[in-house]
Amino acid sequence: MDSRDIVLNILMDIETKKTFSNIAISKALSKNQFEDKRERAFITRLSEGVMEHLITLDYVINQFSKTKINKCKPLIRCLLRMGTYQIMYMDGVPDSAACNEAVKLAKKHGFSSLAGFVNGVLRNISRNKDNIEEPSKDKNSLEYLSVKYSMPIWLCKKLKNDYPETYVSILDGCFADRDTSIRVNTTKISRDELKKMINEAGIAVEYGYYDEKALLISDYDFIKKVPGYKKGYFTVQDESSMCAVRAAGIKQDDTIIDVCAAPGGKTTAAAEYLNGTGKIYSMDISEDKLELIEENVDRLGFDNVIISSHDATKKLSDMEADVVIADLPCSGLGIIGRKNDIKYRLEEEQLAELVKLQREILKVVCDYVKPKGTLLYSTCTINPDENQENVKWFLNKYPEFTLKEERLFVQGVDNCDGFYFAVLVKG
Amino acid sequence: MAIRNIRLDGDDVLRKECKPIEKMTGRLQMLIDDMYETMYEANGVGLAAPQVGILKRLVVIDIGEGDPLTLINPVIVQADGEQEGEEGCLSLPGLQGTVVRPNHVICKALDENMEEITVEGEGLLARAICHELDHLDGILYKDKTLDGLYSVEQPKDN
Repeated sequence: MDSRDIVLNILMDIETKKTFSNIAISKALSKNQFEDKRERAFITRLSEGVMEHLITLDYVINQFSKTKINKCKPLIRCLLRMGTYQIMYMDGVPDSAACNEAVKLAKKHGFSSLAGFVNGVLRNISRNKDNIEEPSKDKNSLEYLSVKYSMPIWLCKKLKNDYPETYVSILDGCFADRDTSIRVNTTKISRDELKKMINEAGIAVEYGYYDEKALLISDYDFIKKVPGYKKGYFTVQDESSMCAVRAAGIKQDDTIIDVCAAPGGKTTAAAEYLNGTGKIYSMDISEDKLELIEENVDRLGFDNVIISSHDATKKLSDMEADVVIADLPCSGLGIIGRKNDIKYRLEEEQLAELVKLQREILKVVCDYVKPKGTLLYSTCTINPDENQENVKWFLNKYPEFTLKEERLFVQGVDNCDGFYFAVLVKG
Repeated sequence: MAIRNIRLDGDDVLRKECKPIEKMTGRLQMLIDDMYETMYEANGVGLAAPQVGILKRLVVIDIGEGDPLTLINPVIVQADGEQEGEEGCLSLPGLQGTVVRPNHVICKALDENMEEITVEGEGLLARAICHELDHLDGILYKDKTLDGLYSVEQPKDN
């Protein structure tokens, strides 16, 4: 199957079935095994690129198409977006190829009557790509930011309100290419040894910025092929999460409960600090995701982790722990650059719902904390209501807890994902 | 080995359908050991995996006579007769109810070596097999009682 046809399938899957883009892409790639690595790379780049720049692409298309993009048939809509992305962002693809291939696909999928339309719009964009009218003269206006960063207006407004000094860096940060952060499993290998091993395989590797277990790697094909992966020498985790688990102050022999554990990053980080002692109860509501935790725990080689299915909003009887890890469902505004679906799917009204859910879970799980024990609350969002405001509410409601440490990482400002954690100690 | 947390009625995990087990792993062996330990510690005569938050088709039974039974992916292939009697459950502590069950069942399952076994049960064993297998489909005995549940001081577990 032709690469562009595969991308069209992926985009249609996302557009019409609301499939998450990472799932749609990996499904398509595994269905079509390629010998040629470049084909894979092309498919990934084009489908991710379209999703990353969706609002921008639609804005450009609407300038040159008589039929507005949301009035087009879904297949034509996807074709125009793909074509426009290649013209605007892929220097290696001649504009003529982008147009011709789109026309071919329109015909192939039974839209011969619209092939001329597709051709016209794309050629028009190709001719005029260097003088596209900007959405507003004011470069700080919400309309301008929304188109430039392909971010819904409400979200631009929120970021500008919450971060009046740094919102531009944050938006830039969403598009910045960052190295992959990995956490060295120091129960099996030292950081320097692993660094040397990865380096010898010709993969670029540096020390992390914040955590002494972190390495940053780049220029590798598949994470599973990086030396040491199968042996459980490392796991992929953002440095912000590593800092959070470190701050929880886990000691040998501690009992730990991780209430929303999938895919198991914090569970395994905690297991490394326990180093074979103590016990971790690692739970998640989603049965499918439990397999991810199992995979990670088994690969890293820990046998003191008990994985089970549980809805964190429900109270478990007779459970207590020295450290409770509550990395809760959140709006994900700290990782909008890495997961394109978030920014398009999240609606402003959902934010209040999430705060409610987080508080509901905190009420339940704080009960598991032993006296002198620790509750680690964290999110991968930079929305203050879900972070600092929640912690204020919590301390007010549960005066037996004190705030030992809190930390906010902001993407584009710090060298990691946007992330928040608070270490709450029970008196 | 570890005592696992027994999930109580009201926990959604008790109402879900469990998935078949495809292969024996170290993790699964650990789960089986933990389930026996948890069952004995709670004075139960049977325990199903969902009762410790694991949605897999696995139960352990020990009614105090004969060998303990580990049943993986069990199915009842034949049931006959009828018995009426009291049942309890570790997930509904302090309660009992009257349930009608077959008096005799034949059950096919895999053992800890993933080899096919056939277990025949009468009376209490038949009752225990039916009760535990129901758990794997999200069914609790309280769904089947003749006249609801009543409190007992010393819960007798099934």
